Amino acid sequence: MTETLVLAKRAVIEGVRSMESLMPVFFIPLFFFVVNIGQAGKIFPSEGTPFLEGQGYAAFSLPTALLTAASFGTAALFLVEEIEGGYFDKLRATPIPRYAIVMGRLLSETLKNLLVTAVIVVVGMLFGVRIESGPLGFVLLLAIMATWATVFSGFMQLIAMKSRSAAATNSASFIFFPLLFLTPNFVPRDQLTRPMEIAASLNPVTYIMEAARSLILKGFEGDVLLKAGVVLAVGLVLAISLNVRAINNYD
Amino acid sequence: MTGTKAAGAAIEATGLVKSYKTKDGTVDAVRGIDLRVEPGEVFGFLGPNGAGKSTTVRMLTTLLSITSGSARVAGVDVAADPSGVRHKIGVALQEAGLDERQSGRELLTLQGRLFGLGPADAASRAQELLELVELTESADRPSKSYSGGMKRRLDLATALVNRPDVLFLDEPTTGLDPASRLVIWDEVRKINARGTTVFLTTQYLEEADQLCGRLAIIDDGLIVREGTPSELKAELRARRSLDHDPTLDDVFLDATGRTRERQAGDVQEVQA
Repeated sequence: MTETLVLAKRAVIEGVRSMESLMPVFFIPLFFFVVNIGQAGKIFPSEGTPFLEGQGYAAFSLPTALLTAASFGTAALFLVEEIEGGYFDKLRATPIPRYAIVMGRLLSETLKNLLVTAVIVVVGMLFGVRIESGPLGFVLLLAIMATWATVFSGFMQLIAMKSRSAAATNSASFIFFPLLFLTPNFVPRDQLTRPMEIAASLNPVTYIMEAARSLILKGFEGDVLLKAGVVLAVGLVLAISLNVRAINNYD
Repeated sequence: MTGTKAAGAAIEATGLVKSYKTKDGTVDAVRGIDLRVEPGEVFGFLGPNGAGKSTTVRMLTTLLSITSGSARVAGVDVAADPSGVRHKIGVALQEAGLDERQSGRELLTLQGRLFGLGPADAASRAQELLELVELTESADRPSKSYSGGMKRRLDLATALVNRPDVLFLDEPTTGLDPASRLVIWDEVRKINARGTTVFLTTQYLEEADQLCGRLAIIDDGLIVREGTPSELKAELRARRSLDHDPTLDDVFLDATGRTRERQAGDVQEVQA
C-alpha cells in the first residue's frame, strides 16, 4: 500500500507540473457547458419545463460537463509516455508489487478528478445551479464522478499497456464520444426517440448521468443512485482486476 | 536493501530460451544459452544488433518471462522468486528510463522509497549517489534539462540505490560522446571495485576490452564465444595461424561470421 501511495503522490506532482495536460480537462467541458446553455436555454425555460424541477437548463446540463471532465483518462497518457520512454521498466525492475504502478496512477486520477469536479460545480453555481441534495449530495456527486474517472482511466490504461503506443492510446480516448453522447444529455431519456432511448439505456454512462442529475435537480432518489452504484462498482472491479492482470502479465 | 553478496555464481543460466509468437509463426530470440558469471566480475555480453543481448538481460532482470530453461541471479531463481531477484539487482536499460519531470534528487529519493527506505534514509541515499555520479550541482533541476551523459549517470545512480549484488547495464554508453563514455567507464570501475558484479552488454568492443574481465559473444540467439579477452584473441591467433595479435574486433567478426566490409554497415563502431 505504501508503494501505491508513494507512486500516487509522484503522479499528482507530475500532474501539477504538467498544467498543460489539465487545461483541456477544464476548458472542453466548460466550453460545451456554456455553449449548451446558450443554445438550449431558451428552448427549455425554467418555467414550463417540468424536467428542470424549477432550475435553469444549466443544472440539467452540468452532469454532462462533469462526465466529460471525468472521461479524459490522462493517467493512461502519462503511463504510455513512461512505457515508451523506458521509465515503466525501471519501475517494474523494483521489488514493489507491480499492481502499485497502475494503482498509484489510478489513485492520482481519483484525487485529480475530485478537484476538477469541485471546480466545475462551483462554475455551475455561478450559472445559477443549486445542488438540491445539499452538501451530502455534493460529496456524493464528487464520489460518483471521481469513481467514473478512475474506471475510465483504468480502461484507458489497459489500452496503454496492450498497445504500448501513445498514438493508439490517444486515439482510443475518443471512445468517450459515444459513451457521452448516446445518453440523455440534452433531454431526459423518456423524451428521446425510440432508437436513441434504447442506445442510451444500453449505455452504462446513462445511469451515472441520471444519478448526478438527480442529486442536482431532485435530491436523493434511492433507485437512481443504486443503478449508478452498480454500474460504478462493476466498472471499478473490472478496471482494477484487468489492470492488475495486465501489469502482472506484461512481457 | 542487501549488503550480503551471493554465495556461488552471481548469475547462472541454463538452457535459457525466449520465443515470441508472431503472425508468421514462432520466433526464437534466444535459443538456449548457458552462462555463469562469478561474483565480483565485470562480464561483457557482446553481439550484433538483434542477436539477443537485450532479451537475455530482460529475462535475467525479471522484465521478460522465460520460455524455457532456468536462471538464478544473486542466488535467487528468476522465475520462482522475481521479487527476491529485484531486491538484489540494479538495472540500467538501453534507454535511460527516467521520469523527466522529476529532478535527479527526486528520482533517486523515489527509487529509494520503492526499495523500502523511509523518507529520511531515501533522501540521504540520494545525496550519496548524487555525489558518486557527480550530479550534486544539477540535483534539483528537472532531469529533462540534463545532457545525454548526465541522464546516463543518473540512470546508473538509480540502479545503485539498493546497493545491488549484481548490476545489469544494457548498452550504457550507446549514443554518448567519447568524453561521457569515459566518465561512465570510470563509474563502472568504481562500482565494481566496491564488490558489485557487473553484467554489461555493449556493441563497443573497446569498451568490453577496457572494462570486462570475461565476455561472451551472442549471435542469432546463441553464445558463440566465451572467455577472457586475451583467451579469445589467443584462440583466434592459434586457430587461424595469424602472424599478428588479433584485436577484439577480429574475434567479434570471426565469431559472428561477419566481414569488416559487411560489419561497417551494420555496426558503425567496428572499423578496420
